Amino acid sequence: MLSVKGLRAKVGENEILTGLDLEVGPGEIHAIMGPNGSGKSTFSHVLSGREGYEVTAGSVTFEGQDLLALEPEERAHLGVFLAFQYPVELPGVNNTYFLKAALNSIRKARGESELDAVSFLRLIKEKLKILHLNDSLLKRAVNAGFSGGEKKRNEIFQMALLEPKLAILDETDSGLDIDALRVVADGVNALRNPERSMIVVTHYQRLLDYIEPDRVHVLAKGRIIRSGGKELALELEEKGYGWILEQEQAA
Amino acid sequence: MNGAAPTSFDTWLAARADGEVGAGLDWLEAQRRSALDQVREQGVPGTKQEAWRYTSLKRLIEQGFARVEDEVTALQLDDIEELLIPELESHRVVMVNGRYTPSLSALGDLPRGVRVTGLRALLASDPDALRERLNGVAGESQPLFAALNTAGLDDGLVVLLDRGAILERPIELIHLSVGMDEPRVAQPRHVVSLADGAQATLIERYVSLGESLYCTNSVLELSLGRDAVLKHDRIQIESPNAFHITGLYLSQDANSRYVGVNIGLGGAWARTDLVTRFSGEHAECDLQGLYLAGDRQLMDYHIDVDHAVPACSSRETFKGILYGKGRAVFDGRVVVAKDAQKTDAAMSNKNLMLSENAEVDTKPQLEINADDVKCSHGTTVGQIEPEKLFYLRSRGISAPLARRMLCMGFAEEIIDALHSDALREAVSEEVGRRLETAPLT
Repeated sequence: MLSVKGLRAKVGENEILTGLDLEVGPGEIHAIMGPNGSGKSTFSHVLSGREGYEVTAGSVTFEGQDLLALEPEERAHLGVFLAFQYPVELPGVNNTYFLKAALNSIRKARGESELDAVSFLRLIKEKLKILHLNDSLLKRAVNAGFSGGEKKRNEIFQMALLEPKLAILDETDSGLDIDALRVVADGVNALRNPERSMIVVTHYQRLLDYIEPDRVHVLAKGRIIRSGGKELALELEEKGYGWILEQEQAA
Repeated sequence: MNGAAPTSFDTWLAARADGEVGAGLDWLEAQRRSALDQVREQGVPGTKQEAWRYTSLKRLIEQGFARVEDEVTALQLDDIEELLIPELESHRVVMVNGRYTPSLSALGDLPRGVRVTGLRALLASDPDALRERLNGVAGESQPLFAALNTAGLDDGLVVLLDRGAILERPIELIHLSVGMDEPRVAQPRHVVSLADGAQATLIERYVSLGESLYCTNSVLELSLGRDAVLKHDRIQIESPNAFHITGLYLSQDANSRYVGVNIGLGGAWARTDLVTRFSGEHAECDLQGLYLAGDRQLMDYHIDVDHAVPACSSRETFKGILYGKGRAVFDGRVVVAKDAQKTDAAMSNKNLMLSENAEVDTKPQLEINADDVKCSHGTTVGQIEPEKLFYLRSRGISAPLARRMLCMGFAEEIIDALHSDALREAVSEEVGRRLETAPLT
């Protein structure tokens, strides 16, 4: 489904990704862990098409298409979704209006009919129920004045509504207390299905107690230096990142 | 245009063929003569004059505008249907080319103590009702365009509320410009006077049929007695070739409250002067504005708030969206007198620039002569933030729609302040429509 090969990217003069390889199959959940500055967020941003990154080598193929050649909105139309580490506040932009514009843009791009107001509201209600959210966030401006937890929940809510094929969760756990974390993780788990792949980017193992990954990768200095099953995350939790980095350097 | 372009206001001042309005009223004649003298004295101000530093009058003068003389009588309600907002329940006054037009108006029932009429009609039937009020707020010594308006006095809307009178529904003034085959200037003069404790909502809409070249030079005199409340929405959507001038003069007595929302979208050249003066303590003045300026458009705002007495508060919140080669000016001035302790004043002007070729001159000024006050001012000139744009695009929303959504979000604060749902919706649609075709370079 997603195939990343030898990906190199830089910001200004700094090379952040130095040859990253990753294969994600349908329905799989991959966790990407790594110390600060290892390139985790850069990888998320490059996948979703954020400006400011220059890809110098390698390829990213999503369902047979060259993802890097596409605009951010075109990636979303294909089914790529980024849950932001820092969701952006949009004062004055009503959340319901935003959700409807997003959903209908994607439907239109896929040649589906746009949803009218009634069908849209019905859909919204249904998604809220799945995630056990109340509808108060719909009336507010997008993320404006939201607490950290509310912002992350709003991200997961968007994911539920837009039903992506590949969701990238960029440090979704950062800044959340344990209760908020559980709510968000429950939401993610409710959206798991055999067609939906996820990349869960995180610094801590904590989130993986709630979202169980199929594969765990360690990212350091811009590339994946080790991959394993979920037990690798536990090992990292116990020993930290140092031992892997040392082994890597010795090798 | 044949021959040399005009270089003075002489074309504006030519005598009216059928005689001046209110001829024979000594006090009015005196006001008119004084205004004429002032116009001649001031000449055509150049950009060295502070009030015209950023805006040249050349383009306006060259048009050689002449006063509107003929009354438009052929218009039927059907002809203006597209301009009405059906959901807006109002006491409707329609003026065509500066003239009150009863056949298109729908005043409905007015409560006791409320008088809504045309200026011409009132000068004929009860001139004494206007004697103290006409130029009562604007004052004797007037800026150029107010003096031109006084010298060429024609018609206008008069709203008088007695002590304690409360008007539930808004008064809606639709000022329509239509079918002017040569450059004409309409000079409506509106007088709104709320006695102590009176409350009203006034909506003004400046609109046109067609895209003709004309000028509107309007003057409003608003006077609020003690505890009076006036909510006032002004929507300027003149023809794309029009010149629009507003001089709004506001006087507020103790504990009165004024909330004014100014939306400027139309016209090629628009100048708005908002002048407010407190005469009693604990009065509140809230001035808000939203302007859009695109190719061949100038939006020029001058705000003058005079805190002459203690303990009053004023807010000036103006936002602009500029695109193409649009130009805007925001020149705001708050003066706090020496005795005006406990003054609370905040002025802000924020501009969103969608193109590199747009230009804004913004100059908020505070002149504080008292020592126990709370005053602030701020101004920003910025662009759409890339991370906001990316957030929307990452959700599948195209870049043009995302930009529009962010612009609408920026404008929302001011549109939201309008005093009717129907008006909010109409303005929102109009702003959206304009942004949809806005060039981004």
